[in-house]
Amino acid sequence: MPKTKAETAVRAKGGEAQKAPRPVRREEMSKLRWTWEEMKRNKTAYFMLAPFFLLFIIFTVLPVFLSMILSLTDFNMLQMPHFLGLSNFKRLFLEDDIFILACQNTLIFASITGPVSYILSLLIAWFINELPPKIRAVVTLVFYAPSISGNVYLIWKTLFSSDSYGWANATLMELGVINQPILWFENADYVMPLCIVVALWTSLGTAFLSFIAGFQTISRDMYEAAAVDGIKNRWQELWYITLPTMRPQMMFGAVLAITNSFGFGAIVTALCGFPSVDYAAHTIMHHLDDYGGARYEIGYASSIAVVLFVIMLASNIIIKKALSKVGE
Amino acid sequence: MKKHLFRRGTCLLLAAAVLFGSLAVVSSAEGIDQVDPKGSESTSADLQEMRALVGTVSYDEYLKPYLQEAAGGSVVDVDVVNQLVRDGTTVATVVSESEPCLTSRDADQSLWKSFGWSENADRSVYLPASGSASWNFLVPSKGMYSIRVEYYNPQTEESSISTTERKFYIDDKVPFKEASTLSFPKSWNFDNLISSETTDASADDRSSVRYETTDEGYFRYVVRVADGKKTTEIWKIAQDINGNSMAPGMVQSSKWSTYYVQDGTGYYTGYFTFFFSEATHKITLEAQREPMIIRSISLVPSDSESSAQIGTYADYLKKHEGAAAPQNGEVTVIEAEFPDYVSDSSVYSTNDNTSAETYPVTSRAQLHNVIGENSYNTVGQWAAYKFSVNESGMYKLAMRYKQDALQGMYICRTVKLSGGEYGLADGTPAAPFAEAFNCQFDYSKKWQSDYIKDGDGTVFEFYFEKGVEYTLYLECSLGTLKTLIQRVENSLNAINDCYLRILQLTGSDPDEYRDYDFLNIMPDVLVTLLDQAVELETVKNEFEILCGTNGSHITTLDTIARLLDKMGTDDGNNIAANMSNLKSYLGTLGTWINNSKRSAMMVDCISVCPANAGSKELRRATANFFKSIWFEISSFFWSFFTKYDQMGLTSIPDENAELIEVWLATGRDQSSIWRTMIDSADGYTESTGVAVTLKLVTGGTLLPSILSRKGPDVYIGLGASDVINYAIREAVMGVSGNDGKLTDEENAVFRQNYYTYLFPENEEHLTTTENRGTENLSFRTETFSEVLGDTNRNGRVDDDGTDANFAQAALDTVTLLDVTYGIPQTMSFAMMFYRMDVLAELGAEVPQTWSQLLALLPVLQTNNMSIGLSYGSAIDFMLYQRGGNMWKYTDTTKYDSKYAGAKIGLSDDVALEAFQYTCRLYTDYSFPVSYDAANRFRTGEMPIIIGDYAGIYNQLVVYATEIEGLWEFCSLPGSFREDGTFNYDSLAGVSATVMLHGCRDVRAAWQFIQWQTSDSIQANYGNKMVALIGPSAKYESANVKALKNLSWTAKEKAAIEAQMKHLSSVVNYPGSYIIGRYTKFAFLAAVNDGENPIEALSQYIDTINAEIKRKREEFDLETFETDEEPPTLDQTTN
Repeated sequence: MPKTKAETAVRAKGGEAQKAPRPVRREEMSKLRWTWEEMKRNKTAYFMLAPFFLLFIIFTVLPVFLSMILSLTDFNMLQMPHFLGLSNFKRLFLEDDIFILACQNTLIFASITGPVSYILSLLIAWFINELPPKIRAVVTLVFYAPSISGNVYLIWKTLFSSDSYGWANATLMELGVINQPILWFENADYVMPLCIVVALWTSLGTAFLSFIAGFQTISRDMYEAAAVDGIKNRWQELWYITLPTMRPQMMFGAVLAITNSFGFGAIVTALCGFPSVDYAAHTIMHHLDDYGGARYEIGYASSIAVVLFVIMLASNIIIKKALSKVGE
Repeated sequence: MKKHLFRRGTCLLLAAAVLFGSLAVVSSAEGIDQVDPKGSESTSADLQEMRALVGTVSYDEYLKPYLQEAAGGSVVDVDVVNQLVRDGTTVATVVSESEPCLTSRDADQSLWKSFGWSENADRSVYLPASGSASWNFLVPSKGMYSIRVEYYNPQTEESSISTTERKFYIDDKVPFKEASTLSFPKSWNFDNLISSETTDASADDRSSVRYETTDEGYFRYVVRVADGKKTTEIWKIAQDINGNSMAPGMVQSSKWSTYYVQDGTGYYTGYFTFFFSEATHKITLEAQREPMIIRSISLVPSDSESSAQIGTYADYLKKHEGAAAPQNGEVTVIEAEFPDYVSDSSVYSTNDNTSAETYPVTSRAQLHNVIGENSYNTVGQWAAYKFSVNESGMYKLAMRYKQDALQGMYICRTVKLSGGEYGLADGTPAAPFAEAFNCQFDYSKKWQSDYIKDGDGTVFEFYFEKGVEYTLYLECSLGTLKTLIQRVENSLNAINDCYLRILQLTGSDPDEYRDYDFLNIMPDVLVTLLDQAVELETVKNEFEILCGTNGSHITTLDTIARLLDKMGTDDGNNIAANMSNLKSYLGTLGTWINNSKRSAMMVDCISVCPANAGSKELRRATANFFKSIWFEISSFFWSFFTKYDQMGLTSIPDENAELIEVWLATGRDQSSIWRTMIDSADGYTESTGVAVTLKLVTGGTLLPSILSRKGPDVYIGLGASDVINYAIREAVMGVSGNDGKLTDEENAVFRQNYYTYLFPENEEHLTTTENRGTENLSFRTETFSEVLGDTNRNGRVDDDGTDANFAQAALDTVTLLDVTYGIPQTMSFAMMFYRMDVLAELGAEVPQTWSQLLALLPVLQTNNMSIGLSYGSAIDFMLYQRGGNMWKYTDTTKYDSKYAGAKIGLSDDVALEAFQYTCRLYTDYSFPVSYDAANRFRTGEMPIIIGDYAGIYNQLVVYATEIEGLWEFCSLPGSFREDGTFNYDSLAGVSATVMLHGCRDVRAAWQFIQWQTSDSIQANYGNKMVALIGPSAKYESANVKALKNLSWTAKEKAAIEAQMKHLSSVVNYPGSYIIGRYTKFAFLAAVNDGENPIEALSQYIDTINAEIKRKREEFDLETFETDEEPPTLDQTTN
């Protein structure tokens, strides 16, 4: 867990207090002892951190560990679980065809929406940043609106309604392209592409805002200095100055993009029903819902969650590595 | 190649099946009629009936030929007993005190006595809630007559809260549209009279009325001096523990009333007149709703005084020329929340906290202080107030009201009076003068206080005499708006016809770039469109003149007129481009008419003021600035302390008292109705002494609550699949006993009472009502199996059990391995809705079978119409109609019940065929897969839709009022089975009331379930829902016997009853969730990619079976490999 600002600030303050002579030197202590001493010295900081930390542990860390434990059982929400060992995972990887399909879908989905939405956010934020402030505010709202206004993605349901009166169907029928209405969200051929489009449409969210904020914080001095140092064009400016300066925001955006693209489930369910036709848009999240909700197999669902957790963790590490190369 | 062969084979097979199938139908046509159960009990309208309906003229057209006719000669009295036609079809029963009963129905004798009539020795006729009765009589001289009926609304087993309705025929014909259905009003009063005392009046007694709010409740003290008697009454609106008023109960008041055949739509005032020639005529009353008793029917010459042709206000004033305003200037204030009678049980007092000036008002609680708004707005509804004055003279009536329903539109009320010189001798009220039909109340966002007046501002004066008891009726009417609204409605019908005409040419998606040449093909349609544009424009202008403003409500008409104008000229293909616009505007116009006909306002009080009173005597309309600010602020702070979960609670349950906790996941309204029913005088708590905590929760709360052991004792409305899901995981109790986890004691509770409950004919007494306190409850002593006498039966109701509370199909859905886990609460199933007018125009009978329906399809499709059928339900019911079953090994005569559901039944030939048949409806016959049913039904594009009966009914009844009376519903079309019969099965979807393991008082909880799902309580609940929310809140009780007392019309009841006899259900076994998705996949593969349905489905069978097997293994149930079959019973016994 990264240290919060508050903690760093307090530590810095503690650094000043360091002038007082210490009874024992760092080299003379074990690491554990040293940590303990440091914690005692900074107890105010820990105290201030405690409320958030407790809640974080109870509602985020603990459930993660619990689901790891549950993934080894046959828990069904209503009765006492039995310990099963690794058999859930065995079944997941060896017997469950739908899970493999779900993994495939999720990867396709994530590898398209994740990077595209990320790059889209970045580029649009960059363009918007060039606009005069008043227009910028308006345009920002326009792009950000889809992701704040709740279930507005259901507009796609009207647009691509299976009814012959749906916009897309009616238009195509008028143009004579089709005779019978297409069941857009109930046809395996269209489900995935449509969901990807909708996902991209709603993806300009928090990350996009943080990019815009990031662009604002970059000091103009840097660009001037860079110009003096021989930057030739806007692209070089972007690559050598803007992006490296924005690395924290970009990291934040990347983490969000990954979690979003892996956890994208509710919108697909709202648009295509559950499960989607022929499992065409069945992601790991859906598979998890299927077992946790419809089949009351929380143990098995937990093992799916653990796998998803590992995948997300791994991709986060990869992204982090990749981002460190920005500007080099 | 192999695949090809297979395909060909199946094709051949199918072709043969279709050929022989239809041959069989044709060849055994006569035979089928006998076998076909529906042949004799068909509930759908036949073509002739539908044509008659469409061909019926309006009242104006009816009168046209008779304009020159004079009034009839003299009053013709029909002898209701002796002139009753007795031809076998008549179902009326003649009853009187001296000669109690002419038929053998003994029940009616006691019924008759139960009314306790002594004042009337005349013989009368009892008309039950179904069937029809006719009278033949001679009219001696021709002419115009009004028809007068003296009737009585009895309270019998058949009666419910709805208004009495009869279809009306003269000489076997509906005379005109508006008189096709007659509503005989009922009258209701509140049961909150605390004390009443009548003494002889002395000279110095004065009438008075006083209102008071205390901690005890809200009181009305009335002293009424009239006819030499002094009546002292105390009325009370009770309060809950937090001081909120509670709605008083309603009692139907039973008295003889007089009814003149008159309009119910609001478009005509006064009584209808009919032409009778000099001959023998026949009048028929066909039951729609409610039983009734008729004492006399008379034809009254239309000009005679007794037909109460109403004079003008000028005449009225002339009659009372000498009368002056009373001297003492006394003002009698009548609080509107205390009506003495109301027309409907849905007209009741309510709370409004928008003004500090309303009496009584407090920011702490919700006191009932007004009447009206949404429950008192339909034409014909009224509230009535008794009053008397202390001095004779001319009076004015004033009202404090808020009328803010439709921007810019005024509304009207009819003032009717009875008592003294007003009304008829038997107390039936009448308008004192013609202008009283048009009392006008203007639109304002604020409260208003004004004298009752007409549109010109003439304040009406009334003559009231000292010592006479008057009753003032305020009846919702359309008043001066009626002609305009009627014109819009006629317009709508004309435009709708145009729409359908165009649609028949172009289809639902006209090609914008094609020249349809409307001008030559259908010039009349274009002319009509233009005409209607002008008509709507004119109506809009007249509205503006009447209302004085141009509100948003009226502007709607303008928008539509402009579109019509554009389409009528058809410049640049406007028609094709605007079809979908026109469709949505038709909807808008329908809604517009609906809204305009609703005349909602809130009334705080009515004052009887002397005629010379000024505006000072009026109650203040709005509070002054400081008073309202203070009221708002204190309301805001009190809102933090309002205990919404205690609404309606009259006492805090004692900690030691017996208590059960009940959860339900419905709406606030539903929950508050259950609350009042539990607490009411004959409710559960009063009868058993067990208090109930009722909690309204959100849907998914039950599962986590069980997990954390904080669950309720009883849960109302759990879906059947969840019941089984929870049951198999040991969370829900088996109410038939013996679910393997119950203790012996618990088992005993269920085993005895469950039986008496399901077979009430064997029940000696209901344990809940007769014994207070649980310690002395006497349960039957027989054990479950002793009573049954047959251990093979599991205490379920047989299909032929006429007295059964529940359909077998409904019980099956909550039963697993012979244990029933809940009592069905709601039961929904699909039925067929059809537009009679559209079918009649096409000359089509209502299809009774699928082959008839498909035969009708070409006719519909050439007119660009289609049939609405949702594939999800079609796949399932088609399977059961054709004799398939979703599961294998369910036949208990063949297999041990532990094998039931071990495999999917879709692999059987009959199931595959059924599935293919369903798919073909969408592929070969192009049924639309996705559609907006209500909208297309309304425009007539989909004259037949199939769907959940209550759901669609509720939607149509509020959403599509312009087609009211033009549609009906009936059983599903039937499928032909190989054994030569037709099967009409629909599938029951059930939610149940269940008890949870860990229940703190099994006995009390079980009694609660018995009480809650019993027929009388279910009917009561359903009726209360309708009363509270309106006709669109029809409740689908699973209790079959409750249907009788729910407020459907006789015809609707018959239709529902017929379908209830044909119900199947998809039983829930472990793994049932997997079936729906794969059948959907297979279906979509067939529809989207044109795959062979049978192949598409077959490829999933193994996957489904594997999942079922895995799921059954989880619960240690018997499983079988793909090629393995369970042993049959014969094998095991041998």
